[in-house]
Amino acid sequence: MSNTFLEVRNLKKYFKSARGYVHAVDNVNFSIEKGKTLGVVGESGCGKSTLGRCVIRLLEPTEGEVLFEGVNICKLNNHKMKELRKDIQIVFQDPYSSLNPRKTVLDIISEPLKFNKIMPGASRADIENRVVELMETVGLAERLINTYPHELDGGRRQRIGIARALAVNPRFIVCDEPVSSLDVSIQAQILNLLKTLQRERGLTYIFITHDLAVVNYFSDEIMVMYMGQTVEKAPSDELFRNPLHPYTKALLSAVLVPKVGGNKERIQLRGEITSPIEPPDECRFAKRCNYCGDGCKKGTPPLIEVAPNHFVACHCIGKDKNTLTLQELDMAK
Amino acid sequence: MGNEHITNNGLAAEGDIVLEVKNLVVHYVLKKETVEAVNDISFSLKKGRAIGLVGETGAGKTTTALSIMNLVPDPPGVIKNGTINVCGYDILKLKHNELKKVRGKDVSMIFQDPMTALNPVMRVGDQIAESVRLHENVSKAKAYERAVEMLELVGISGERASEFPHQFSGGMKQRVVIAIALACSPHVLIADEPTTALDVTIQAQVLDMMNDLKKKFNTALVMITHDLGVVAKMCDEVAVMYAGRIVESGTLEDVFNDTMHPYTEGLFNSLPNLENREAELEPIPGLMPDPTKLPPGCSFAPRCKYATEACSAKRPEPRKVSDTHTVLCTRYDDPSFRIKRRQSNEQHVS
Repeated sequence: MSNTFLEVRNLKKYFKSARGYVHAVDNVNFSIEKGKTLGVVGESGCGKSTLGRCVIRLLEPTEGEVLFEGVNICKLNNHKMKELRKDIQIVFQDPYSSLNPRKTVLDIISEPLKFNKIMPGASRADIENRVVELMETVGLAERLINTYPHELDGGRRQRIGIARALAVNPRFIVCDEPVSSLDVSIQAQILNLLKTLQRERGLTYIFITHDLAVVNYFSDEIMVMYMGQTVEKAPSDELFRNPLHPYTKALLSAVLVPKVGGNKERIQLRGEITSPIEPPDECRFAKRCNYCGDGCKKGTPPLIEVAPNHFVACHCIGKDKNTLTLQELDMAK
Repeated sequence: MGNEHITNNGLAAEGDIVLEVKNLVVHYVLKKETVEAVNDISFSLKKGRAIGLVGETGAGKTTTALSIMNLVPDPPGVIKNGTINVCGYDILKLKHNELKKVRGKDVSMIFQDPMTALNPVMRVGDQIAESVRLHENVSKAKAYERAVEMLELVGISGERASEFPHQFSGGMKQRVVIAIALACSPHVLIADEPTTALDVTIQAQVLDMMNDLKKKFNTALVMITHDLGVVAKMCDEVAVMYAGRIVESGTLEDVFNDTMHPYTEGLFNSLPNLENREAELEPIPGLMPDPTKLPPGCSFAPRCKYATEACSAKRPEPRKVSDTHTVLCTRYDDPSFRIKRRQSNEQHVS
């Protein structure tokens, strides 16, 4: 792909804990084209936020490469990294804790401008004008410029978070659950805003969420994570039409549809996500999987391309480049 | 007992109304202002049925639930008006010691956050047994036996009864909370966002289990949620709340297929559609009004695309559209008025 904007290769992040290393992100690979959105879904503890933070080096990856327009950002020194931070930004999950409570909206949004010296020699008034402009972009009224975060509701706070990210004119934004703490009517406002911004500015997003309806609406491609690993990756339409991995299937069937009679039988999963501390070398989903056989305990399944752009990591799928095995197992039941 | 507030002994037969809320008004009176949390709501629920109270943050859902348990913190909470009848008990008139008997036995509640609802220094088996011992005259050993049974019923191995809450994951803690709530087979169960803190696959497990238990014990369920998907799965009836009032109520089919209120329409349009990802989201503009300064007319009028001057001038009154379906919207004074969702539904049918 010539148009690759961001590429992640063999990314690993281990955290040290008393009982051994937590494999938060374990060997993740993906690439995103310019102006597109990669959705990352998974349940709590699957490593999706850690992945988002590693990609922009808010956390140092343990191993692996992050290539931003061909440059490995993990190797950049502080000075160069600071330069690059103008291009990459993040919007955090919780608009209540990601804003400094002692600063006004003006302070918060102008801080990246000042810190990155985006407007050298600009007067206070110039900066204020730029902040007002940014507030307009995200739909905040100018009169709020001197208010403090505690005076505002969640939706408006999230808009401040977005304005702050936009201040440096980034080309790439990691959105870490940007709408999950908001009410549905406000959630739709913020999603539309992010989409409009993408259209107007050609932004590239990594969109991290646990909400499958939202990720389907928002992303071009979706990556499903389980215990630090990618279990399936495909274009959004394809993933929802033809989910292959048993975990993806269960996840999709667990989505509740707001329709009378819309919630048919779902696939039952046993148990819950287990501890990612020093996991054994086997399929990490095996313990909860309805299709688990002896072969599943032999090594971590590799991510295989089973259809164009559709990748699955499952011992039961793709050995002979077909997907018959799971269906056969279904039939056998 | 023999109290005049108790009309029957908490016994309810199939099809009986086990919960009736009438003209409930709850305000939080603060020094400088009054938060008008619940403003005149009424609904009733029959045995074995489930009603979904839907709405966004600040709609008054939780205050309504707390009122049913008579747990509204006072001060600052004041129940200004209304009656609540649970299985023949006039909840708001009961004395403290009488309430203690009703709570947990006839009506119990599951709270949103299972992490804080359990006692961290008490074994989960003892926590379930405690609830049994409070309401039933049984020995300690018998109560503990029941606790183990309840645990198995919610899908946790009975051996784990001697463990502490921190040894359980979020989904399992919520199961323990449900086990406590159902230990005395209450007639009415109030679930306040029981699965919001849980992951999707765990949410599905917990909801399935609640559905099974509801059928088994024939419990009436009040499901408080902001998730219309949860309502579609769990409820027979729906009441949509906005700024402390029920703006639309009816059976699940009434509200979902024959939507009447503009706010309900807005909620549906704000949700991404799984089947059609090209469909644009249509958010409701603006924000929920400040509950200390509610607008004089319809509270939703400032955000409503159908609003006219009459809407902001006059407080809407409930309008019965069918035996089961009620809507709170002044625009229906005009008999030809239709919201968009309803129009497209009608076209779809014809």
